[in-house]
Amino acid sequence: MTLQLAAATYRYAGAAGPSLHEIDLELAPGDLLGVVGPNDAGKSTLCLVAAGLAPATIQGQLSGTVTIDGLDTRSARPHELAQRAGILFQNAVTQLSGTSATVWEEIAFGPRNLGLARAEVIERVEEAAARLAIADLCARDPERLSGGQAQLVALASILAMRPAYLLLDEPTSQLDPQGTRLVGEALAGIAARGETGILITEHKTDLLDRLCTSVLVIEEGRIARQGAAAEILADPGLPAAGVEPPARVRLMAAARAAGVELDPEPP
Amino acid sequence: MTPQIETAGLGFVYPDGTRALEGVDLRIGSGELVAIIGQNGSGKSTLVRHFNGLLRATEGTVSVGGMPVARRHVAELARTVGVVFQNPDRQIFAGSVRREVEFGAGNLGYRGADLARRVTDALALVGLGDAVRHNPYDLGFSRRKLLAMASVLAMGTSAVVLDEPTTGQDARGVDRVRAIVRSLVDEGRTVIAISHDMRFVVEAFPRLVVMRAGRIVLDGTPEEVFAEQEWPVLASTFLEPTLAARVGAQRGLGSTPTEDALIAALRGRGGSA
Amino acid sequence: MPDYVQRPPTEPYRSLNPTTKLAIALTEALVAFVVRGWTGPLVVLAVVLATGLRAGVWRAFLPFLLATLPLIASILLVNTFLYPGATDLIARIGPLAPTWTGLVFATQAALRVIAFAMSVALLGLTTRPDHLIADLERRGMGRRAGFVLGATLRTVPRIGERAREITDAQRARGLDTEGSPWRRARGLVPLAAPLVFGALSEVEEVTMALEARAFSAPARRTPLRSFPDAGWQRALRWTLLALSLLAIAGSVSGALAFLP
Repeated sequence: MTLQLAAATYRYAGAAGPSLHEIDLELAPGDLLGVVGPNDAGKSTLCLVAAGLAPATIQGQLSGTVTIDGLDTRSARPHELAQRAGILFQNAVTQLSGTSATVWEEIAFGPRNLGLARAEVIERVEEAAARLAIADLCARDPERLSGGQAQLVALASILAMRPAYLLLDEPTSQLDPQGTRLVGEALAGIAARGETGILITEHKTDLLDRLCTSVLVIEEGRIARQGAAAEILADPGLPAAGVEPPARVRLMAAARAAGVELDPEPP
Repeated sequence: MTPQIETAGLGFVYPDGTRALEGVDLRIGSGELVAIIGQNGSGKSTLVRHFNGLLRATEGTVSVGGMPVARRHVAELARTVGVVFQNPDRQIFAGSVRREVEFGAGNLGYRGADLARRVTDALALVGLGDAVRHNPYDLGFSRRKLLAMASVLAMGTSAVVLDEPTTGQDARGVDRVRAIVRSLVDEGRTVIAISHDMRFVVEAFPRLVVMRAGRIVLDGTPEEVFAEQEWPVLASTFLEPTLAARVGAQRGLGSTPTEDALIAALRGRGGSA
Repeated sequence: MPDYVQRPPTEPYRSLNPTTKLAIALTEALVAFVVRGWTGPLVVLAVVLATGLRAGVWRAFLPFLLATLPLIASILLVNTFLYPGATDLIARIGPLAPTWTGLVFATQAALRVIAFAMSVALLGLTTRPDHLIADLERRGMGRRAGFVLGATLRTVPRIGERAREITDAQRARGLDTEGSPWRRARGLVPLAAPLVFGALSEVEEVTMALEARAFSAPARRTPLRSFPDAGWQRALRWTLLALSLLAIAGSVSGALAFLP
């Protein structure tokens, strides 16, 4: 069972042309796929389409097929999609429901909406909080957290839906280095369990270098390059595609250009 | 020479009792290029809000252009210190790019041909010359950030503060920001940037000021700040030395915060490591 | 389930079912305005203050009281000096002609406002919004209404912070907020527009975030906790409803005109 896009083309409502063209992509549980590309290349749209929010919630036109464990996103209801693919956005604050007095209740928001038995709601909240090691945040007011903490709470709230796939759209772009590290470690932990398929779009290629097994480059709504993370991130054509290579790669390239030998340890 | 911006013993406590700044002594000369780095909550944004009077010191003094800011209105200080905040969507209000950029300079009293020239120059500098008639919300987020920058640059202030200019920018956007900073320095303006982007900061700024919990903990060149003996201080602020710095230290090449410095040091040693 | 999620309050008055406290507040507010003269406001004020004393929130009433002062002041001034048709002068001070009728009317109106404010304050001080919403949901209020209510209550501080950020950014661009009123009026659009645009553009993000958490699922939302309710509280709520209806009917029909 996988999350699959086949020749997926998507046009936003009222847009002149499609934002995604003929995307073929397969994400399996245990995969950690990084997506890079310049701004407006379609990274966010890819996340929305893969999660089924486009077109289910934001309208627009989808051609080709997107299936999540066999469920066609065009005919699925949003709450069915929510239980299969979780999505995390850049802005932690708009993702919080704003109605919960404590982080615990915030994480419980999703399971409660599903009408699950109280015992199961409790179990899911405890499990999500434990997975991300944020049990100590549970009594706090969600509106009073740091950016990194808020993102972790948003992530826990999504995990409580027990999705098989996670789509993360630049989750660390508004975070400081500590926040970035918190989220990066949390994701590494989730990936290590091998149960969840993760797709993460980012500008911070250093982070992707550490986390991802494979990487794809998106340009103007199409997949320009795809392959093993180490290979794609070391591609000298990356800067021309508007993507900053990881520090490790840049350093090696600069050394080579200067005729100097260097073999730095991995970051 | 009189520093353009100076703080002496600056302290700031919010009305609810939270302390945000303590004992901050900072001297920034005219035409200097300084980056302020540190975690969120370390006081960086609070500090720069004292430069244009948005916040008023609860202890110590702040001077701009050699004179205390004490009784000067923000509108007056804005003639000398322009601040570009992090989130462009918390300031963009006009229906066209042109009118948005005109706002700041218009507030300072520029009119007619002079105003038009400032707007055109600022838009050219940030690369939005072709978008002059667009609605700001037709531009993507990173271009809106550049728009916000243009509207402050058009004011022609002698000092410019950039709050997280590279956040959310892709590689081309970061290049553009670097070019903007270089132009401003060439014009003789003082440029102060707040940033998390270590690479951007070490490569473009000859002076780094590191903050933690409302205090300045390090103030010097990238070589000084990323020298190995300062790493514990950096660690206490949750900042990591750049890869180049770590590699250089590991090979006993001294402090090499930038790639160029590392390569130069390797060359100096004899071309291999 | 952790204590802080689970445990309903136990202090006097606070321990009442949230819907009961809501019913009390609504009735008090209604009676204060509907029953004319001195009776309505004074009775309500007495009840609210007594309850407030029992609940231990007396001192916390003060800020709410202070908040009504500007309104009270203007009511007193306008009505004492400008009550139409009154002739029983208190004194003549130059062109000013305060009347007793006006003063009486003004004081009654002021008391109504205070009584209303105090009953709302009592509710706010003794009831957590999310408890009230949870209880209303348990009684059948839809999740959307509950969400809007809850989000509205929590949005206020968020908007304040956002407005501050916007004001800072505009002032940094030379917008004069310390000068003449005319100059300050010009600043309205640059201050208000980003707030509005921001709110509008967030609507889509917030909608997506909600859908991603199954907000529109058909099932009935799992209640996390229940609040103790009792037969006597149910009886009280029905009585309050009847009282409210009687007050409206009596006031409209003039049957209550005998009250001072």
